[in-house]
This record gives sequence, structure tokens and C-alpha cells, in this order.
Amino acid sequence: MLALKLLLRNWRSGELKLLAVSLILAVAVLSGISIFSARLESTLLLQSNSILGADAVVSGSVPISQEWIDRATEDKFQQSFSTMFMSVVYAGDEMQMASIKVVDSYYPLRGQLDISHVAYAENAVDIRTASVAPAAGEVWVDSRLFSALKVAMGDRVSVGDVDLTLTNILIDEPVGVNPFFNFGARLIMNIADLPKTNIPQENYQWLLAASNSKKLTGFLEKIKPELNQHQSIATIESSQEQLTANLKTAKNFLIIASVMAVLLAGVAIAIAARQFSMRHTNQVALMKSLGASAVRVRLLYFGQLLMLGVVAALFGLVIGYGIQEIVAVNIKQLYHITLASSGAYPYVLSFIGGLVCVLCFALPALWFLPGVPPLKILRRELAVNMPQVWLQIGLAVFAMVALVGLFSRNIKITLSSTLGLLVVLVVACVVSWLLLKISKLFISNLGGVWRLAFAGMQKRRGQSVVQVAIFAVALMLLLTMTIIRTSFIAEWQRQIPADSPNHFIGNMNAADVADFKQFLLDRRINVNPIYPVVRVRIAKINTVEPSAELRNRHPAFKQELNVTDFASLASDHEIVEGQWWDLWQKTAPNSVGVSVDAEFAKLIGLHIGDQLAFSVGGLALNAEVASFRRIDWESLNQNFLFIFEPTALDRFSPIYGTSAFIPTGDTQYFNHFAREHPNLLVLNFGSMIENIQKIISQVSNGIGLVLWLTLSAGCLVLFAAVMGSIESRKQEAGLLRALGSSRRLMLGSVLVEFAILGFLSGLIAIAGAESFLFALQHLVFKNEMQPHYAYWLASPLIGMVFIATLGVVCCRTVVVTPPAVVLREAT
Amino acid sequence: MIKVQGITKKVATQEGDLIILRDISLAVAQGESLAITGASGSGKSTLLGILAGLDVPTTGSVSLNNHSLTCLDEEGRAQVRADNVGFIFQSFQLLPGLSALENVMLPLELRGNKKAKSLALDFLAQVGLDKRMSHYPQQLSGGEQQRVAVARAFASQPKILFADEPTGNLDSATGARIIDLLFELNAEQGATLVLITHEDRLAARCQTRIELSAGEMMPSQGKQ
Repeated sequence: MLALKLLLRNWRSGELKLLAVSLILAVAVLSGISIFSARLESTLLLQSNSILGADAVVSGSVPISQEWIDRATEDKFQQSFSTMFMSVVYAGDEMQMASIKVVDSYYPLRGQLDISHVAYAENAVDIRTASVAPAAGEVWVDSRLFSALKVAMGDRVSVGDVDLTLTNILIDEPVGVNPFFNFGARLIMNIADLPKTNIPQENYQWLLAASNSKKLTGFLEKIKPELNQHQSIATIESSQEQLTANLKTAKNFLIIASVMAVLLAGVAIAIAARQFSMRHTNQVALMKSLGASAVRVRLLYFGQLLMLGVVAALFGLVIGYGIQEIVAVNIKQLYHITLASSGAYPYVLSFIGGLVCVLCFALPALWFLPGVPPLKILRRELAVNMPQVWLQIGLAVFAMVALVGLFSRNIKITLSSTLGLLVVLVVACVVSWLLLKISKLFISNLGGVWRLAFAGMQKRRGQSVVQVAIFAVALMLLLTMTIIRTSFIAEWQRQIPADSPNHFIGNMNAADVADFKQFLLDRRINVNPIYPVVRVRIAKINTVEPSAELRNRHPAFKQELNVTDFASLASDHEIVEGQWWDLWQKTAPNSVGVSVDAEFAKLIGLHIGDQLAFSVGGLALNAEVASFRRIDWESLNQNFLFIFEPTALDRFSPIYGTSAFIPTGDTQYFNHFAREHPNLLVLNFGSMIENIQKIISQVSNGIGLVLWLTLSAGCLVLFAAVMGSIESRKQEAGLLRALGSSRRLMLGSVLVEFAILGFLSGLIAIAGAESFLFALQHLVFKNEMQPHYAYWLASPLIGMVFIATLGVVCCRTVVVTPPAVVLREAT
Repeated sequence: MIKVQGITKKVATQEGDLIILRDISLAVAQGESLAITGASGSGKSTLLGILAGLDVPTTGSVSLNNHSLTCLDEEGRAQVRADNVGFIFQSFQLLPGLSALENVMLPLELRGNKKAKSLALDFLAQVGLDKRMSHYPQQLSGGEQQRVAVARAFASQPKILFADEPTGNLDSATGARIIDLLFELNAEQGATLVLITHEDRLAARCQTRIELSAGEMMPSQGKQ
């Protein structure tokens, strides 16, 4: 097969190497990122779902429809049934209020139950993962309940009317639909024992998991309209909104980054293919003079390109797999997380992506070859009907839109990338053309090196303009990636700073508060505000009892609420209407002031000055709405729907609660403190925060990988663009050297030429990156736009140094090779 | 054989049509040799291009072994070239990425010849370069490169061989050796030879010689 022979010969002669490397890089980037993203996504989903204990939970105050259960069984979903309630638990003479979780033997469907025989166990040797939930007749309690009840393994613990045997201490479990349910002492038992408790079941939870997430989503969509008003569906998206938002942002970033890297590789492919086709013009003329028809030439060249594309794509897949596997192994070693498998889809997609790159970027450059006239073999000067460079760029832009659209399936990302790139292309061309035009005026007044550099740029005007455009695009994409990555990571760190509270401590009396403050002082731990808390019910709004319709609008009407009084406004709260206590003037003498969550107020139509009546264990508390607060519910600080003016709750004997960051080294001291104060309710959020931080670390790692791949693609493009001008420089260099120009002068002119091109490209790149980021942040990430002043300075300088160095390195051989050799090669 | 009837070649320029060839008619029988001489810019290369079917005349007709080139499109002419024509160029036109052997093999491979390698080796041996078959053009001297080009031209056993100033880039001694080689091989294969040259001694070895001046055949020329 002649095409294969020619391919091997062209490979051996080195002509195809840049093209092949660019293709391999494109596929390696595509496959590396898409395999990694797919693995990351499924791992994050599994891990996130392990927080929930399932892929989805249907919960409510009415039993689950038997018809749904039958349908789910038919669809082969994993199912588990559970319920939760608060109850007093007895052991011997001891009693304690606890959160009771009643589960079947399939619980949890995702995540695990960690148990121990040692209370407050922290060492891995003491902790094991339960293979099944507690069996009928058994009960597991958490460390706090274990201490409070003063029990030992094998003791009897009573829940309602049933006596159960204590077999394990519960160390860790999925947080579930309502993480705040885990507040305080916890107990887990088997659902088979529930009827014997004689405690009426008021809560039904149906946990679902499926290997095919689309099928499960479809099922949930179908049952959604059939849900009773007291039922709801929780998925990781609904229960962990912030986490989901971060995952979506990360996914969008990965998509953009991978497409950018592919575009860079695509530009390198286009340049390499153009160089290849230019070198082959004479070969085609020779082949045609020897009788090869245009069709034959087309088949021979396209055949070579296709074979090269297939082989390079396969190599790219192997390299892509290898790169992401290195990161996966790294993640496993660092965080002990094994990434899930990706399936075949990303491999197929990347392979097709590679072929698309061949078709969109390489083929246009080779398209004219069959049209080379055979007469060119006799008359070298004969013009060849070559595609215009702008036509090629136009096709590449079209290919870019198609690729971005295909991979992101997001019109906004497609529009933003196109806008950014077009701005850069237009500005690069206009600015560099203007510079060349202006430089004509003063070129004759310049010194040797500068004159030679500008003369070189003038002579290769078209090439210089194209080089600025390519450099600028490559730098712009690299800058965009760097800025996005830096700002994302900073944003995530802001959301979950390292010293986020990891414990909630409640049910403290005044004496406990003093002890706790002393404990924090002793351990040198920061003290967060300690809130007095009472539990209230909303009795009346403006002297009228809430209607049934209003009660259905918010769960706050159906349950007791924790409220507080406090003098200072927390940093994550903002008054949006009315006045905080320092400026507030009450209108009703018998009322106290209350500040209300702005969203809740809007939902039920409250106004400043409205009168609210609360019931505090049967006692009346009248309040006047003084202000509305916007609350950052995403922060892990304690938040309240209602905050009363200071001392307003004193007469109701409040208990106290706070959140605190207990460093790992102080955990054992804190546990000791908690053991000495068994009435305290403690919720350890540490593992949940740790999970989220692990996820963020994984995503950051992924982004780091993407950035490196993008950088490699960028370097390849820059290299290809410089190499593109090497041929024309060779002859000129040979001639100048033969006429006595020094190496120093010539290298100096190359340095100056590429430094000017680099400076210009860097300046245009940052303008393009800012406009791209502007579009992205407004359309995709919904963030505030911040100008990046430091980059405006850094970008031109980096562009100048980097491209000048690259130019000198690439052109060095042209300058240092003896002129006779250069001239002979150039003929 | 080659039959040319009243060909003219014009090209459009900014100053109007430029006539490169004017009313050229000639005939070369099978196995004969024709030398085209003339000063630079006289239209020699244009005439060679038209005779070989690489270009078409503005008016007139060209027939190559009974194929009317002027009636064929580029694909048809390519087929005629594939079946009938070989070339030797002034600048050798060897492909730099291919070894000497692969350069000779190329036209045979394009014709789908299964014995391309053995035939190419055979012709390389005939031009005395079989020991250097794996060398690349840049590793060969000018004379050696032209010998490879001669081997490539004869390897496909063309019925008509066109040579465009085959000694133009060589010194006179090397040029003389190439001319000897060219005529020896041509005598063996019995091909029609059309060559362009400045050199009288080369033109003198051809059976027919025409001289072009400003695109016209000089009247004094004819069979020697």
C-alpha cells in the first residue's frame, strides 16, 4: 500500500513529527481530561451519595406507595427503608433523649457505618466498617449516648417498649437527608424491632440507589408528580446545594480547559499540516509529472493523514490514560480515595475528537495539494492555488465552535470562547498590522539589530501578523486557565476555610458556658459567639393565627424553632431592611424587637413593624419586626430565622449553643470535656467538612493536570509557529552570514524580533483573556468580574521573555550553521 | 512519436497578452532524439512542458504516441504521462526525504509495479550507484544526484524521455559523463528523447535540433 509506504518514509524523514506530536497531544489532552473527569464525576457522585446514604431518598410523613416500590423493584433499584424520630432511651437507671434511626439490613446503600467497641474511637485499629446494619434485637449507640447511659457492651437498652442488646458503638454514619438530625446523642436499631417499641411511625424514608443513574433520575421524574404534599425527594443535588454547585463549576472548568487545550493542539496541528503541505508542493508536482492523477494524489495524502490520525489517536489514548492514571494513583496515595472507572465513553469520544482534529485542522491545509500543477516541476515560480491563511483560520474558528459546542454542549461556553478568541484574533491582526505600518516610518533611523529585526518583520509581514495572532491566542488561553484556576480555588477556600467550625455544641446552661469558655481559653481555641437559645412556636402574625395555606408554605409553622437574642450582627448576616438594635426604635411598648430572615419574611409577606406572637412552652412572647436579614446559609456558622433584641429571652431560661473549630490535636481534650458534661448536645461536622475538602483537593488536582496539559499544548503551538518561519529565515541567514554579518547581530535581531512579537502578543492576550473571563463569569459562572491588574503587567513581560527565548532557541541552528551549508540546504 | 501542429502559447500580463510560443510545428519519430536550444527566455521550457503534457497550448495541437493531448483534460494527460513519459530535470528534483533507491522506486510504485525494488536496484546498478542506494540526496554530489535522476527516469521504461537541461547544474566533466549515460541507456531502451540544452556538444549528439528565439523556431534549423 503506497500511502502507508509514503507515510513511513515521511515519518522517517521527520516531516510528520510535529504533526504527529500535535495530534497525539490533542488526543492525550482530550482523553486524559475526559477519562479523568468521568472518573472524578462518578467518584464524587458516589462519595457525595455516601453523605446521603443513597443516590436518592424519598421521605415524608406518609407511607411510601406500594406501587412505587413495585416499580422500583421491577427496575432493579437497590432499596432500603428507614425512619427517624426523637425518643427517650433507658438503660438501667439512666435515661437520655436521643435521635433514633431505624433501618433495615440494606442500610446504607451508599457510604458505610463505622463501628467500634471503644467510645470516641479515633485510631484505625479500633474502628471497623459494619457489613450490615444492626440485626433485629440489637442496638448501636454513639459515643455520647454510650457515656451518658453508662452502659457496657451486651447491656440492655430500651427504646419505647422494646429492650435491645447493645452490640456496638457507632462512630460514623452517612449524614442523611437532614444533617441536623444527627445533632446530639444517636442510636441506630433494626426496623424489625420498630413495632415492638409501640412508638407510632410518623416518618418514612425510602432510600434508592441504582447503577444506572439516568434510569433512576427518570424514575424520580415520573414519581415526582405523584408525591403527596408531605413527601419530598432528596438527592445529593438538593441536599448539598453548595457542593453540587462547586462540582458543576469544576466540571464546566474542566470542559473549558480541555477544549482550550485541544484548540491549542489544533492550532499546532494546523501549522504543522501547513508546513508539511508547503514542503510537499514540489513532491506533488513531481508525482503528477510522473503521471499521478489529482484523485490519486488526494487518496495518497488523505490516506496518509487518516492513518497518521488513527495511530496518533491510539497513542494519544494510551498517553491520556497514563497521565490521568498517575493523578489517580497520586490521589489514592494522598487521600486514600480510589477513583471509580470511567467506562468506554470517554475513550470513544476522545478518539473521535482526534479524528475531528485531523479533519478540521489538518485536512484544510492539505486540501490544495492535489491541485498543484505538474508544470511546477519545470517552473518553480509558478503560483500554486493555495488556500488563504485567513480561510484556514476561518475554518479553524469554525472547527473550534463545533468542537466546543460538541464537548461542552453548552451554548454559553461556546459563545464565550468564540467571543474571546475572535476579539484576540481581530485585535492581534489590527495591532500588529498597525505596528508594522508605523515601523516603516522610523525603521531607517534605527540601529543595526533593531533595523534588521523590523526589516525581518516587514519582509515576513503576513507571517508576523499570523504569529502574533497565534502567540496571543495561546497566551490568552493559558492566562485564562491560570486565572480561572486561581480564582476558583480561592473561592472554594473562602467557602470552606481551614478553620471552619467543625463542631456544634448545644444544650449548655450558664455554668456549662463558663466551663466551655475556660476550656477554649485553656486550649487556645477561638471563641465564636455563644447564643442563648429557646424553642418557640409561631402563634400569631398581626394578631391572626397563621392560615392553613400559610402553614403549608414553610416548615417553620409546623415545628418548634430555635431562636436567640443577640446584640451584635454576625459577619455573614446583612440587614436588607429596617434597623439593627443600635438604631431601632420600637413602636409598641409591650413588644420586643425581632430580626427576621429576609427570605422567610418575603415568603410569608411580612413587613417592618408587623407584630408577631410566639409561644415559648406556653408563655407568650410578643415581638415587633425590626429588620430583615440576609443570611449566608451556605456558611457553616449557626444561623437563626429569628433573632430577638438582647436580653429579650432572659426570662425564658435559655440554653446556650455555639459552633467551634476544634483542631485535630485538641479532639481528645474536647471529648474529655464533653464526657464530663454529658448534658451537652454535640454534633461533629468534621468528617463532612473533611469530605468536602477532599473533594475540593481532588478537583484542584484535576485542574492542575489540565493546566499542565494546556501549557504543553501552548508550548507546542508556539514552537510550531516559530518553526513555520524557519525555512524563510534559513536562506536569508545564509546570505547575510555569507556577506559578513556577525552571529551576534543576527541572534540579536532574532531576539528583538521575537521579543517585540511576544510583548505585543502578551498585551493582546491579557485583553482577550479579560474579555473571555468577563463573558464566562457573566454567562457561565455567575461571578463578579474583577480586573486582574497584576496580569496586565505580567502577561506582556512573560510573553516577551518566553517567546524571545523560544525564538532564539529555534533559530539558533539557522544562525550558527555555516552559511555554505544553509545556502545549499535552502536551494 | 510526437506531433506538434501550429502551437501558440500566450499568457495574460498587466501590459496585455504576452506571446511565449508562436506557431510551432514539429514531429519526432519513435526512437529519435530532438535537441531544443535557445537563449534564456526563448520559450524552451514552455515548449517542453507542452510537449510533455504538463501544460496546454493556447492554440494548436499536440499528439503523443497517438494521444491528442490538447483534447484531453489534466486527468487524461496524467494517464498519458504515466504510460509514456519520463523526465530528467536540471535541478534533479529528488525528494530529500527519500533514499536514492526510494527515489528511483517512486515512479514504479505510482504505476503499481510489484517489482519496483528489484527494477530500481537494477537501474541504480546501471548508473553505478547500487552501493549508495540507501544514501539521501543531501549525502550525494550533484553528479551522483543526477545519476539517480537518470536511473529514476529510465526505471519506468518510458517511451518518450524529456530532459530539461540535464547538465545545467553540473561541471563539464560530470556533465559529459551524464550525457554518455543518458545516450547509452536511451540506445538500449529505444525511447524518443527530447532535451533542452545550451550546450552545443550535447545538441550535436541528437538527431534533430531546433533553436528557439523569442518563441519562434529559427528557419535554418532542421534535421542534421
